[in-house]
Amino acid sequence: MQALTITDEELVARSMDGDVDSFNQLIRRWERPIYALAYRTLGREDDARDVCQETFLRAYRAINGFKGQAKFSSWLYRIALNLCRDWMRRQRRTPVVQMPEDVDISELAAAHGPSESIETLVGRREIGRAVAAAMAKLPEEQRTAILLKEYHGLTFQEIAEMQGCPLSTVKTRLYQGLSVVRRQLEKGGMSAADIRGDAS
Amino acid sequence: MSTHYTCDDTETLVAYLYDDIEPGQKDAVARHIATCGRCRDEVAALGGVRHALTAWTPPTPDLRFTVVPESAVSNVVTPDVPAWRRVPVWAQFVAATLALAVGASVANVQVRHDERGWTVSTGWMTPAPAAAAVAAAPAASDDWKVALTAMEQSLRHDIAARPAAGSAAPVAADAETIARVRALIEASEKRQQQELALRLTQFGRDIDLQRRADLVRVEQGIGQLEGRTGAEVARQREAINYLIRAGLRPPQ
Repeated sequence: MQALTITDEELVARSMDGDVDSFNQLIRRWERPIYALAYRTLGREDDARDVCQETFLRAYRAINGFKGQAKFSSWLYRIALNLCRDWMRRQRRTPVVQMPEDVDISELAAAHGPSESIETLVGRREIGRAVAAAMAKLPEEQRTAILLKEYHGLTFQEIAEMQGCPLSTVKTRLYQGLSVVRRQLEKGGMSAADIRGDAS
Repeated sequence: MSTHYTCDDTETLVAYLYDDIEPGQKDAVARHIATCGRCRDEVAALGGVRHALTAWTPPTPDLRFTVVPESAVSNVVTPDVPAWRRVPVWAQFVAATLALAVGASVANVQVRHDERGWTVSTGWMTPAPAAAAVAAAPAASDDWKVALTAMEQSLRHDIAARPAAGSAAPVAADAETIARVRALIEASEKRQQQELALRLTQFGRDIDLQRRADLVRVEQGIGQLEGRTGAEVARQREAINYLIRAGLRPPQ
């Protein structure tokens, strides 16, 4: 339980002193969010895994250069996003839509508990697929803004610093991105009720 | 900070949507959407998109990345680095020099300097020059000739002796290879069968899940139908009661 009370800043300070275990604690704490960001940015599981691994490797090598002006997590997100950008540039690819094939509906049901019916889970999976397809169509800046805000809970200010743009631009990107996703979902045959989840 | 909100102020609308907004502005937006249907619909639709976004979940692989201290991997051989690159530079230099010297002697490299300048020649067919500076070279080349001739004879002898000594060996080697190929084919077939069985099981499970989902849907449909039928019966009963009551009422 003691490990839970240690802040990222303390673990970073210990890592700077050469404590590898502390850095491994940081990895355990942040590997899932970084992987999720890479997966939603690139759309491929293997590439996301590689980017995630490379992110922590770079962070470990550069830990003594971390000044602590931003949060450690923001620093990691920035490294991961740069790696994703490099990967896309190198591969000259756009994000692909790949839903995890190994996810079984029964496994999903077990994960969500008995409160959600199979029908609901199947419906949510379809919506997830449609969302992934819609997000893949967005320009990179809009997609990144939505990912950081929606799934990682960054503030507008943090996203602005990460994207190197004014606060108002971040809000505009979010609005435009959400509007495009909405239109795409509607174009895909989803009603407003489906999108809101009223059916479930 | 403005506490007045107008339609099409999308930045403030987004701030309101994510509840990342000044309290005064938040109140202004809330007041506005209470009276403006278009903005209310916009907020509801974008809120719906936010809800839909939660359905997009990444897979959950077993990551467990770990940084290992250098001291812990000191006895681990890195497979990516070729063995020759791990040799010290000085040893590589000595080896290269030796190789060059041996190569030069085998190729019978001769360097000569006379009134026409420097001359470099190689090969055994060219007669050795008579210059004093390289007087020892022909003697050395004779030694190499003898050695090469002996090696050639030895090789010829070996080649001539091989068929007699190893006539049974290829048969045994072939039998072993065939056995290994058979084993590989069997293993592959077994694996394919297992995969097929796995796929069939998954397929059966998918069908079962779909059937259960359909059953739930059918049950819901029947439930709705029953509800509707019950309501209809109640209405009819009410109407009949009303008619009875009306029939029993004394005429005025």
